[in-house]
Amino acid sequence: MPQTPSLLDFYPLEDEKSTRISKFFDNVRQGHFTTTRCTKDQSVHWPPRVVCPQCHGEALEWIELPKKGRLFAFSALLLGLPMGMEGEAGAVVGMVELDGWPIKIFSRIANAKYEDCHIGDAVEWDPYTLADGRVFFRFRKPAAPPPA
Amino acid sequence: MRKVAVVAGGVSTWGVRSATWGELVQEAGNALFSSARSLGAKDVDSLFVGAAQPERFAFQSHVAPMTAELLGLHPWKVLRRNELACASGQAAIQDAYAAIASGLSDVAVVLGVEKMNIPSMAEATTSMANVLDRAWDGVQGGTAPPFFAMAAQRHMHEYGTTAEQMALVSVKNHKFANTNPKSQFYSKTFTKEKILSSPMVSPPLRLGDCSSMTDGSGAVLLVSEEKARTYTDTPVWISATAQYTDFHNLANMPSLSSWTGLKKAASELYQKGGIDPTDIDFAEVHDCFTISEIIEYEELGFCKKGQGGKFIQEGQSDLGGKVTVNPRGGLLGCGHPLGATGIGQAVEVLEQFQSKVPAARHVKDAEVALTHNLSGSANVHTLTLYRREN
Repeated sequence: MPQTPSLLDFYPLEDEKSTRISKFFDNVRQGHFTTTRCTKDQSVHWPPRVVCPQCHGEALEWIELPKKGRLFAFSALLLGLPMGMEGEAGAVVGMVELDGWPIKIFSRIANAKYEDCHIGDAVEWDPYTLADGRVFFRFRKPAAPPPA
Repeated sequence: MRKVAVVAGGVSTWGVRSATWGELVQEAGNALFSSARSLGAKDVDSLFVGAAQPERFAFQSHVAPMTAELLGLHPWKVLRRNELACASGQAAIQDAYAAIASGLSDVAVVLGVEKMNIPSMAEATTSMANVLDRAWDGVQGGTAPPFFAMAAQRHMHEYGTTAEQMALVSVKNHKFANTNPKSQFYSKTFTKEKILSSPMVSPPLRLGDCSSMTDGSGAVLLVSEEKARTYTDTPVWISATAQYTDFHNLANMPSLSSWTGLKKAASELYQKGGIDPTDIDFAEVHDCFTISEIIEYEELGFCKKGQGGKFIQEGQSDLGGKVTVNPRGGLLGCGHPLGATGIGQAVEVLEQFQSKVPAARHVKDAEVALTHNLSGSANVHTLTLYRREN
Protein backbone atom coordinates (compact mmCIF):
# COMPACT_ATOMS: atom_id res chain seq x y z
CA MET A 1 0.00 0.00 0.00
CA PRO A 2 1.13 3.63 -0.53
CA GLN A 3 3.28 5.11 2.23
CA THR A 4 2.59 8.75 1.34
CA PRO A 5 -0.69 10.46 2.28
CA SER A 6 -2.89 10.30 -0.82
CA LEU A 7 -3.19 14.10 -0.84
CA LEU A 8 0.50 14.34 -1.71
CA ASP A 9 1.07 11.05 -3.54
CA PHE A 10 1.34 11.39 -7.31
CA TYR A 11 1.25 7.68 -8.06
CA PRO A 12 -2.18 6.26 -8.83
CA LEU A 13 -3.77 3.50 -6.81
CA GLU A 14 -3.54 0.56 -9.15
CA ASP A 15 -5.17 -2.51 -7.61
CA GLU A 16 -8.53 -3.94 -8.61
CA LYS A 17 -10.22 -2.38 -5.57
CA SER A 18 -9.18 1.09 -6.71
CA THR A 19 -9.41 1.20 -10.49
CA ARG A 20 -10.99 -0.54 -13.45
CA ILE A 21 -7.74 -0.31 -15.42
CA SER A 22 -5.65 -2.37 -13.00
CA LYS A 23 -4.76 -4.50 -16.03
CA PHE A 24 -2.55 -1.67 -17.29
CA PHE A 25 -0.42 -2.00 -14.17
CA ASP A 26 -0.49 -5.80 -14.30
CA ASN A 27 0.79 -5.51 -17.85
CA VAL A 28 3.59 -3.16 -16.73
CA ARG A 29 4.61 -5.80 -14.18
CA GLN A 30 4.89 -8.31 -16.99
CA GLY A 31 6.91 -5.97 -19.17
CA HIS A 32 4.12 -4.87 -21.49
CA PHE A 33 3.35 -1.24 -22.38
CA THR A 34 -0.33 -1.15 -23.22
CA THR A 35 -3.37 1.04 -23.59
CA THR A 36 -7.00 0.72 -24.65
CA ARG A 37 -8.50 0.79 -28.12
CA CYS A 38 -12.19 1.02 -28.96
CA THR A 39 -13.36 -2.03 -30.90
CA LYS A 40 -16.15 0.03 -32.47
CA ASP A 41 -14.40 3.13 -33.83
CA GLN A 42 -10.77 1.89 -33.46
CA SER A 43 -9.68 5.03 -31.61
CA VAL A 44 -6.60 4.56 -29.44
CA HIS A 45 -6.74 6.22 -26.02
CA TRP A 46 -4.13 7.69 -23.74
CA PRO A 47 -4.31 7.22 -20.88
CA PRO A 48 -6.27 3.94 -20.86
CA ARG A 49 -10.01 4.46 -20.48
CA VAL A 50 -13.06 2.43 -19.47
CA VAL A 51 -15.35 4.23 -21.93
CA CYS A 52 -14.37 5.44 -25.40
CA PRO A 53 -14.43 9.28 -25.23
CA GLN A 54 -15.20 9.41 -28.97
CA CYS A 55 -18.21 7.07 -29.33
CA HIS A 56 -18.93 6.34 -25.65
CA GLY A 57 -18.79 2.63 -26.31
CA GLU A 58 -17.58 0.31 -23.57
CA ALA A 59 -16.20 -2.46 -25.77
CA LEU A 60 -12.48 -1.71 -25.40
CA GLU A 61 -9.49 -3.96 -25.96
CA TRP A 62 -5.93 -3.84 -24.66
CA ILE A 63 -3.25 -3.25 -27.27
CA GLU A 64 0.53 -3.08 -27.11
CA LEU A 65 2.21 0.29 -27.59
CA PRO A 66 5.69 0.67 -29.09
CA LYS A 67 8.44 0.70 -26.48
CA LYS A 68 10.64 2.92 -28.55
CA GLY A 69 10.20 6.55 -29.46
CA ARG A 70 11.90 9.89 -29.99
CA LEU A 71 12.09 13.14 -28.08
CA PHE A 72 9.69 15.64 -29.61
CA ALA A 73 10.40 18.23 -26.91
CA PHE A 74 12.15 18.18 -23.55
CA SER A 75 13.17 20.25 -20.54
CA ALA A 76 14.54 19.66 -17.05
CA LEU A 77 13.31 20.19 -13.50
CA LEU A 78 15.81 22.56 -11.91
CA LEU A 79 13.80 24.74 -9.51
CA GLY A 80 10.37 24.44 -7.90
CA LEU A 81 10.19 20.67 -7.75
CA PRO A 82 7.06 19.19 -6.15
CA MET A 83 7.06 17.42 -2.80
CA GLY A 84 8.62 13.99 -3.09
CA MET A 85 10.72 15.07 -6.07
CA GLU A 86 12.92 17.65 -4.31
CA GLY A 87 15.93 15.35 -4.52
CA GLU A 88 15.60 14.94 -8.26
CA ALA A 89 16.76 18.35 -9.42
CA GLY A 90 18.15 18.09 -12.93
CA ALA A 91 15.72 15.35 -13.97
CA VAL A 92 14.85 15.49 -17.66
CA VAL A 93 11.23 15.33 -18.85
CA GLY A 94 9.92 15.29 -22.37
CA MET A 95 7.22 14.55 -24.89
CA VAL A 96 8.00 11.16 -26.41
CA GLU A 97 6.74 10.51 -29.93
CA LEU A 98 6.12 6.76 -30.05
CA ASP A 99 7.49 5.06 -33.16
CA GLY A 100 4.72 4.57 -35.69
CA TRP A 101 1.91 5.84 -33.46
CA PRO A 102 0.09 9.16 -33.40
CA ILE A 103 0.65 9.49 -29.67
CA LYS A 104 3.11 11.66 -27.78
CA ILE A 105 3.41 10.79 -24.10
CA PHE A 106 4.81 13.07 -21.42
CA SER A 107 7.42 11.22 -19.43
CA ARG A 108 10.44 11.41 -17.22
CA ILE A 109 13.56 10.69 -19.29
CA ALA A 110 15.99 8.61 -17.24
CA ASN A 111 19.68 8.15 -17.91
CA ALA A 112 19.84 11.61 -19.48
CA LYS A 113 21.38 15.00 -18.91
CA TYR A 114 19.56 18.01 -20.36
CA GLU A 115 22.74 19.27 -21.99
CA ASP A 116 23.18 16.01 -23.89
CA CYS A 117 19.60 15.76 -25.21
CA HIS A 118 18.40 16.82 -28.65
CA ILE A 119 15.03 16.86 -30.39
CA GLY A 120 14.74 13.52 -32.20
CA ASP A 121 16.92 11.54 -29.78
CA ALA A 122 15.90 7.90 -29.40
CA VAL A 123 14.39 6.77 -26.07
CA GLU A 124 13.01 3.47 -24.83
CA TRP A 125 10.28 2.44 -22.38
CA ASP A 126 11.50 1.78 -18.84
CA PRO A 127 9.15 0.24 -16.24
CA TYR A 128 10.03 0.43 -12.55
CA THR A 129 8.75 -0.71 -9.17
CA LEU A 130 8.13 1.57 -6.17
CA ALA A 131 9.17 0.65 -2.63
CA ASP A 132 5.54 -0.09 -1.77
CA GLY A 133 5.19 -2.56 -4.64
CA ARG A 134 3.31 -0.35 -7.08
CA VAL A 135 4.70 -0.06 -10.60
CA PHE A 136 4.96 2.74 -13.11
CA PHE A 137 7.02 3.63 -16.16
CA ARG A 138 9.21 6.28 -17.68
CA PHE A 139 11.40 6.41 -20.76
CA ARG A 140 15.18 6.37 -20.79
CA LYS A 141 17.97 7.12 -23.17
CA PRO A 142 19.54 3.83 -24.27
CA ALA A 143 22.83 2.91 -22.71
CA ALA A 144 25.75 3.89 -24.88
CA PRO A 145 27.22 0.94 -26.81
CA PRO A 146 30.45 -0.40 -25.36
CA PRO A 147 33.59 0.92 -27.05
CA ALA A 148 34.71 -1.18 -29.99
CA MET B 1 -30.00 39.10 -23.25
CA ARG B 2 -29.68 42.15 -21.01
CA LYS B 3 -26.65 44.40 -21.17
CA VAL B 4 -24.15 43.98 -18.34
CA ALA B 5 -21.78 46.62 -16.97
CA VAL B 6 -18.72 46.57 -14.76
CA VAL B 7 -19.11 49.61 -12.52
CA ALA B 8 -16.57 49.28 -9.71
CA GLY B 9 -13.58 47.24 -8.67
CA GLY B 10 -10.40 47.08 -6.68
CA VAL B 11 -7.59 44.78 -5.65
CA SER B 12 -5.54 44.11 -2.54
CA THR B 13 -1.79 44.50 -2.57
CA TRP B 14 -0.36 41.41 -4.30
CA GLY B 15 2.81 39.61 -3.28
CA VAL B 16 4.11 37.48 -0.45
CA ARG B 17 1.62 38.69 2.10
CA SER B 18 1.43 38.38 5.87
CA ALA B 19 -2.28 37.71 5.58
CA THR B 20 -4.58 34.69 5.59
CA TRP B 21 -6.97 33.66 2.83
CA GLY B 22 -9.89 35.23 4.71
CA GLU B 23 -8.00 38.44 5.35
CA LEU B 24 -7.25 38.75 1.64
CA VAL B 25 -10.98 38.34 0.95
CA GLN B 26 -11.76 41.21 3.29
CA GLU B 27 -9.13 43.43 1.66
CA ALA B 28 -10.70 42.85 -1.76
CA GLY B 29 -14.16 43.58 -0.42
CA ASN B 30 -12.92 46.80 1.14
CA ALA B 31 -11.28 47.82 -2.15
CA LEU B 32 -14.55 47.21 -4.00
CA PHE B 33 -16.89 48.94 -1.58
CA SER B 34 -14.64 51.99 -1.41
CA SER B 35 -14.55 52.25 -5.21
CA ALA B 36 -18.30 52.19 -5.85
CA ARG B 37 -20.58 55.14 -5.35
CA SER B 38 -23.35 54.37 -2.85
CA LEU B 39 -22.90 50.59 -2.83
CA GLY B 40 -24.37 48.94 0.24
CA ALA B 41 -24.17 45.30 1.24
CA LYS B 42 -27.95 45.07 1.04
CA ASP B 43 -27.81 45.94 -2.69
CA VAL B 44 -25.85 42.80 -3.60
CA ASP B 45 -28.18 40.01 -4.65
CA SER B 46 -25.48 37.60 -5.90
CA LEU B 47 -21.90 36.62 -5.11
CA PHE B 48 -19.47 34.74 -7.35
CA VAL B 49 -16.13 33.63 -5.93
CA GLY B 50 -13.18 32.67 -8.11
CA ALA B 51 -10.80 30.51 -6.09
CA ALA B 52 -8.63 27.80 -7.59
CA GLN B 53 -7.28 25.77 -4.71
CA PRO B 54 -8.40 27.00 -1.28
CA GLU B 55 -8.73 23.35 -0.25
CA ARG B 56 -5.01 22.81 -0.81
CA PHE B 57 -3.48 26.21 -0.01
CA ALA B 58 -5.73 27.24 2.89
CA PHE B 59 -7.43 23.93 3.85
CA GLN B 60 -10.81 25.54 3.36
CA SER B 61 -13.72 24.49 1.18
CA HIS B 62 -17.28 25.82 0.89
CA VAL B 63 -15.71 29.22 0.39
CA ALA B 64 -18.62 31.11 -1.19
CA PRO B 65 -20.66 31.41 2.02
CA MET B 66 -17.48 32.10 3.96
CA THR B 67 -16.73 34.97 1.57
CA ALA B 68 -20.28 36.28 1.94
CA GLU B 69 -19.90 36.33 5.71
CA LEU B 70 -16.51 38.08 5.50
CA LEU B 71 -18.04 40.82 3.31
CA GLY B 72 -21.25 41.12 5.29
CA LEU B 73 -23.31 39.97 2.30
CA HIS B 74 -26.50 37.94 2.27
CA PRO B 75 -26.95 37.00 -1.41
CA TRP B 76 -30.47 35.86 -2.14
CA LYS B 77 -30.29 35.12 -5.86
CA VAL B 78 -27.07 33.35 -6.83
CA LEU B 79 -24.16 32.16 -4.66
CA ARG B 80 -21.33 30.29 -6.42
CA ARG B 81 -17.67 29.37 -6.23
CA ASN B 82 -15.87 28.87 -9.54
CA GLU B 83 -12.76 26.71 -9.99
CA LEU B 84 -10.99 26.84 -13.34
CA ALA B 85 -7.41 26.89 -12.13
CA CYS B 86 -5.65 30.03 -13.40
CA ALA B 87 -8.85 31.28 -15.08
CA SER B 88 -11.07 30.96 -12.00
CA GLY B 89 -11.48 34.72 -11.61
CA GLN B 90 -12.43 35.45 -15.20
CA ALA B 91 -14.70 32.40 -15.30
CA ALA B 92 -16.48 33.77 -12.21
CA ILE B 93 -16.95 37.09 -14.04
CA GLN B 94 -18.46 35.22 -16.97
CA ASP B 95 -20.84 33.35 -14.64
CA ALA B 96 -21.98 36.65 -13.14
CA TYR B 97 -22.34 38.11 -16.63
CA ALA B 98 -24.56 35.18 -17.63
CA ALA B 99 -26.66 35.51 -14.49
CA ILE B 100 -27.27 39.22 -15.02
CA ALA B 101 -27.76 38.96 -18.79
CA SER B 102 -30.38 36.26 -18.25
CA GLY B 103 -32.23 38.19 -15.57
CA LEU B 104 -31.37 35.91 -12.65
CA SER B 105 -29.38 38.67 -10.95
CA ASP B 106 -29.20 42.48 -11.00
CA VAL B 107 -26.27 43.33 -8.75
CA ALA B 108 -23.42 40.83 -8.37
CA VAL B 109 -20.08 40.96 -6.61
CA VAL B 110 -17.35 38.85 -8.22
CA LEU B 111 -14.41 38.23 -5.93
CA GLY B 112 -11.22 36.37 -6.78
CA VAL B 113 -8.64 35.28 -4.26
CA GLU B 114 -5.69 32.97 -3.76
CA LYS B 115 -3.29 32.41 -0.87
CA MET B 116 -0.33 30.59 -2.44
CA ASN B 117 2.63 31.29 -0.20
CA ILE B 118 2.51 28.60 2.47
CA PRO B 119 5.34 27.33 4.68
CA SER B 120 6.34 24.54 2.26
CA MET B 121 6.83 25.74 -1.31
CA ALA B 122 7.27 22.10 -2.39
CA GLU B 123 3.80 21.35 -1.03
CA ALA B 124 2.40 24.34 -2.92
CA THR B 125 4.11 23.18 -6.11
CA THR B 126 2.62 19.72 -5.59
CA SER B 127 -0.81 21.31 -5.52
CA MET B 128 -0.05 23.24 -8.70
CA ALA B 129 0.85 19.95 -10.41
CA ASN B 130 -2.70 18.74 -9.75
CA VAL B 131 -3.87 21.16 -12.41
CA LEU B 132 -2.45 18.72 -14.96
CA ASP B 133 -3.50 15.07 -15.14
CA ARG B 134 -1.86 14.17 -11.83
CA ALA B 135 -1.78 10.39 -12.15
CA TRP B 136 -0.21 10.38 -15.64
CA ASP B 137 1.52 13.73 -16.24
CA GLY B 138 2.06 15.07 -12.71
CA VAL B 139 3.67 11.82 -11.60
CA GLN B 140 6.28 12.23 -14.34
CA GLY B 141 7.24 15.68 -13.04
CA GLY B 142 4.71 17.61 -15.06
CA THR B 143 4.20 21.06 -13.61
CA ALA B 144 3.75 24.41 -15.34
CA PRO B 145 7.44 25.33 -15.84
CA PRO B 146 8.50 22.22 -17.80
CA PHE B 147 5.31 22.31 -19.88
CA PHE B 148 5.76 25.93 -20.93
CA ALA B 149 9.49 25.29 -21.34
CA MET B 150 8.68 22.66 -23.96
CA ALA B 151 6.30 25.09 -25.66
CA ALA B 152 9.16 27.61 -25.75
CA GLN B 153 11.59 25.02 -27.07
CA ARG B 154 9.27 24.05 -29.92
CA HIS B 155 8.49 27.70 -30.74
CA MET B 156 12.20 28.45 -30.89
CA HIS B 157 12.80 25.31 -32.97
CA GLU B 158 9.97 25.96 -35.44
CA TYR B 159 9.98 29.76 -35.71
CA GLY B 160 13.39 30.93 -34.53
CA THR B 161 12.09 32.74 -31.44
CA THR B 162 14.95 33.70 -29.13
CA ALA B 163 15.57 33.85 -25.38
CA GLU B 164 16.23 37.56 -25.81
CA GLN B 165 12.78 38.12 -27.35
CA MET B 166 11.17 36.24 -24.46
CA ALA B 167 13.10 38.38 -21.98
CA LEU B 168 11.73 41.51 -23.63
CA VAL B 169 8.20 40.43 -22.67
CA SER B 170 9.30 40.31 -19.06
CA VAL B 171 11.06 43.68 -19.30
CA LYS B 172 7.92 45.33 -20.75
CA ASN B 173 5.55 43.88 -18.19
CA HIS B 174 7.80 44.62 -15.24
CA LYS B 175 8.15 48.19 -16.54
CA PHE B 176 4.36 48.54 -16.46
CA ALA B 177 4.24 46.92 -13.00
CA ASN B 178 6.54 49.68 -11.77
CA THR B 179 3.57 52.03 -12.30
CA ASN B 180 1.21 49.79 -10.29
CA PRO B 181 1.66 50.02 -6.49
CA LYS B 182 -0.55 46.94 -5.96
CA SER B 183 1.75 44.69 -8.02
CA GLN B 184 4.15 42.15 -6.56
CA PHE B 185 7.20 43.69 -8.25
CA TYR B 186 6.23 47.36 -8.04
CA SER B 187 9.55 48.43 -6.58
CA LYS B 188 11.87 46.06 -8.47
CA THR B 189 13.59 46.85 -11.75
CA PHE B 190 14.20 44.16 -14.36
CA THR B 191 16.53 44.66 -17.29
CA LYS B 192 16.98 42.27 -20.19
CA GLU B 193 20.43 41.38 -18.88
CA LYS B 194 19.05 40.65 -15.41
CA ILE B 195 16.41 38.32 -16.83
CA LEU B 196 18.84 36.54 -19.13
CA SER B 197 21.20 35.90 -16.23
CA SER B 198 18.54 34.81 -13.72
CA PRO B 199 18.58 31.17 -12.54
CA MET B 200 17.28 28.54 -14.93
CA VAL B 201 13.96 27.03 -13.75
CA SER B 202 13.16 24.69 -16.65
CA PRO B 203 15.34 25.37 -19.66
CA PRO B 204 14.98 27.45 -21.74
CA LEU B 205 12.85 29.30 -19.14
CA ARG B 206 14.65 31.27 -16.46
CA LEU B 207 13.23 32.74 -13.28
CA GLY B 208 12.71 36.05 -15.09
CA ASP B 209 10.51 34.26 -17.64
CA CYS B 210 8.15 32.93 -14.96
CA SER B 211 5.29 34.49 -13.02
CA SER B 212 5.32 34.02 -9.28
CA MET B 213 3.48 32.33 -6.46
CA THR B 214 1.39 35.21 -5.18
CA ASP B 215 -1.07 36.04 -2.43
CA GLY B 216 -3.72 38.43 -3.61
CA SER B 217 -7.35 39.23 -4.17
CA GLY B 218 -9.66 41.51 -6.10
CA ALA B 219 -13.33 42.20 -6.62
CA VAL B 220 -15.55 43.81 -9.24
CA LEU B 221 -19.19 44.81 -9.26
CA LEU B 222 -21.33 43.73 -12.23
CA VAL B 223 -24.81 45.14 -12.67
CA SER B 224 -27.65 45.28 -15.17
CA GLU B 225 -27.99 48.27 -17.49
CA GLU B 226 -30.84 49.70 -15.41
CA LYS B 227 -28.61 49.82 -12.31
CA ALA B 228 -25.35 50.89 -13.94
CA ARG B 229 -25.47 54.62 -13.31
CA THR B 230 -26.46 54.14 -9.70
CA TYR B 231 -22.87 53.23 -8.96
CA THR B 232 -20.76 55.20 -11.49
CA ASP B 233 -21.02 57.75 -14.27
CA THR B 234 -18.60 55.72 -16.40
CA PRO B 235 -19.63 52.08 -16.62
CA VAL B 236 -17.70 49.61 -18.77
CA TRP B 237 -19.67 47.13 -20.86
CA ILE B 238 -19.12 43.44 -21.40
CA SER B 239 -19.52 42.98 -25.13
CA ALA B 240 -18.84 39.25 -25.57
CA THR B 241 -17.31 36.17 -23.94
CA ALA B 242 -15.76 33.00 -25.37
CA GLN B 243 -14.10 29.83 -24.15
CA TYR B 244 -12.57 26.72 -25.70
CA THR B 245 -10.92 23.56 -24.47
CA ASP B 246 -9.48 20.79 -26.60
CA PHE B 247 -7.54 18.42 -24.32
CA HIS B 248 -6.38 17.71 -20.80
CA ASN B 249 -3.78 14.94 -20.74
CA LEU B 250 -0.68 16.25 -22.53
CA ALA B 251 -0.79 13.31 -24.95
CA ASN B 252 -3.95 14.74 -26.46
CA MET B 253 -2.56 18.22 -27.09
CA PRO B 254 -2.75 19.21 -30.78
CA SER B 255 0.45 21.29 -30.67
CA LEU B 256 2.93 22.72 -28.18
CA SER B 257 3.68 25.84 -30.20
CA SER B 258 0.27 26.58 -31.76
CA TRP B 259 -2.56 26.99 -29.28
CA THR B 260 -5.45 26.10 -31.53
CA GLY B 261 -7.93 26.42 -28.66
CA LEU B 262 -7.05 30.09 -28.22
CA LYS B 263 -7.35 30.73 -31.94
CA LYS B 264 -10.84 29.20 -31.93
CA ALA B 265 -11.94 31.09 -28.82
CA ALA B 266 -10.61 34.38 -30.23
CA SER B 267 -12.43 33.82 -33.51
CA GLU B 268 -15.68 33.28 -31.63
CA LEU B 269 -15.09 36.35 -29.45
CA TYR B 270 -14.40 38.60 -32.43
CA GLN B 271 -17.44 37.29 -34.29
CA LYS B 272 -19.72 37.82 -31.28
CA GLY B 273 -18.27 41.28 -30.71
CA GLY B 274 -18.45 42.28 -34.37
CA ILE B 275 -14.78 43.23 -34.49
CA ASP B 276 -11.42 42.00 -35.74
CA PRO B 277 -8.07 41.97 -33.92
CA THR B 278 -7.11 45.41 -35.26
CA ASP B 279 -9.98 46.93 -33.25
CA ILE B 280 -8.41 45.91 -29.92
CA ASP B 281 -6.83 48.93 -28.22
CA PHE B 282 -5.28 47.03 -25.35
CA ALA B 283 -5.28 43.48 -24.06
CA GLU B 284 -4.72 41.91 -20.66
CA VAL B 285 -3.41 38.46 -21.56
CA HIS B 286 -2.10 35.48 -19.60
CA ASP B 287 1.69 35.89 -19.47
CA CYS B 288 2.26 33.15 -16.90
CA PHE B 289 5.52 32.65 -18.81
CA THR B 290 7.11 34.94 -21.38
CA ILE B 291 6.58 32.41 -24.16
CA SER B 292 2.85 32.43 -23.40
CA GLU B 293 2.49 36.10 -24.30
CA ILE B 294 4.42 35.57 -27.54
CA ILE B 295 2.18 32.68 -28.62
CA GLU B 296 -0.90 34.67 -27.54
CA TYR B 297 0.03 37.59 -29.84
CA GLU B 298 -0.14 35.09 -32.69
CA GLU B 299 -3.29 33.17 -31.77
CA LEU B 300 -5.18 36.38 -30.91
CA GLY B 301 -4.35 37.64 -34.40
CA PHE B 302 -2.18 40.58 -33.37
CA CYS B 303 0.55 39.26 -35.70
CA LYS B 304 1.11 36.35 -38.07
CA LYS B 305 1.92 32.87 -36.77
CA GLY B 306 5.56 32.62 -35.84
CA GLN B 307 6.03 36.40 -35.69
CA GLY B 308 5.39 36.82 -31.96
CA GLY B 309 9.06 37.23 -31.14
CA LYS B 310 9.43 39.91 -33.77
CA PHE B 311 6.25 41.62 -32.48
CA ILE B 312 7.71 42.20 -29.01
CA GLN B 313 11.13 43.06 -30.40
CA GLU B 314 9.62 45.81 -32.55
CA GLY B 315 7.74 47.22 -29.56
CA GLN B 316 4.34 46.52 -31.12
CA SER B 317 2.87 45.34 -27.79
CA ASP B 318 4.22 48.30 -25.83
CA LEU B 319 2.40 51.56 -25.19
CA GLY B 320 2.13 53.27 -28.56
CA GLY B 321 2.48 50.01 -30.51
CA LYS B 322 -0.18 48.23 -32.55
CA VAL B 323 -1.91 46.93 -29.42
CA THR B 324 -0.78 47.57 -25.86
CA VAL B 325 -0.49 44.25 -24.07
CA ASN B 326 -0.61 43.91 -20.29
CA PRO B 327 -0.43 47.58 -19.28
CA ARG B 328 -1.30 46.52 -15.71
CA GLY B 329 2.02 44.67 -15.52
CA GLY B 330 0.76 41.24 -16.41
CA LEU B 331 1.22 38.11 -14.38
CA LEU B 332 4.98 38.55 -14.67
CA GLY B 333 4.93 41.95 -13.00
CA CYS B 334 1.84 41.80 -10.80
CA GLY B 335 2.16 38.19 -9.70
CA HIS B 336 -0.37 35.44 -10.30
CA PRO B 337 -2.76 34.69 -7.41
CA LEU B 338 -4.73 32.19 -9.50
CA GLY B 339 -8.32 33.06 -8.62
CA ALA B 340 -7.62 36.79 -8.45
CA THR B 341 -5.73 37.25 -11.72
CA GLY B 342 -8.79 37.54 -13.96
CA ILE B 343 -10.30 40.03 -11.52
CA GLY B 344 -7.15 42.13 -11.54
CA GLN B 345 -7.31 42.24 -15.34
CA ALA B 346 -10.95 43.39 -15.25
CA VAL B 347 -10.09 46.11 -12.74
CA GLU B 348 -7.36 47.31 -15.11
CA VAL B 349 -9.85 47.49 -18.00
CA LEU B 350 -12.24 49.49 -15.82
CA GLU B 351 -9.57 51.90 -14.62
CA GLN B 352 -8.07 52.31 -18.11
CA PHE B 353 -11.46 53.26 -19.56
CA GLN B 354 -12.13 55.54 -16.59
CA SER B 355 -8.67 57.19 -17.02
CA LYS B 356 -7.70 56.32 -13.46
CA VAL B 357 -4.30 54.75 -14.28
CA PRO B 358 -0.99 56.63 -14.43
CA ALA B 359 -0.02 58.18 -17.76
CA ALA B 360 2.94 55.79 -18.08
CA ARG B 361 0.55 52.96 -18.82
CA HIS B 362 -2.60 54.75 -19.92
CA VAL B 363 -3.89 53.73 -23.35
CA LYS B 364 -5.54 57.01 -24.28
CA ASP B 365 -8.87 57.07 -26.07
CA ALA B 366 -9.18 53.29 -25.85
CA GLU B 367 -12.60 51.96 -26.80
CA VAL B 368 -12.18 48.18 -27.00
CA ALA B 369 -10.19 45.80 -24.77
CA LEU B 370 -9.99 42.09 -24.16
CA THR B 371 -8.91 39.95 -21.25
CA HIS B 372 -7.51 36.45 -21.66
CA ASN B 373 -6.68 33.70 -19.23
CA LEU B 374 -5.37 30.31 -20.10
CA SER B 375 -5.54 27.57 -17.52
CA GLY B 376 -3.67 24.33 -16.97
CA SER B 377 -1.40 23.41 -19.84
CA ALA B 378 -2.96 26.08 -22.10
CA ASN B 379 -5.74 23.56 -22.62
CA VAL B 380 -8.48 26.04 -21.71
CA HIS B 381 -8.75 29.61 -22.99
CA THR B 382 -11.19 32.11 -21.50
CA LEU B 383 -11.80 35.49 -23.17
CA THR B 384 -13.92 38.53 -22.39
CA LEU B 385 -14.42 41.57 -24.63
CA TYR B 386 -15.07 44.97 -23.06
CA ARG B 387 -16.23 48.27 -24.56
CA ARG B 388 -16.10 51.77 -23.09
CA GLU B 389 -19.34 52.83 -24.71
CA ASN B 390 -22.62 50.96 -24.53
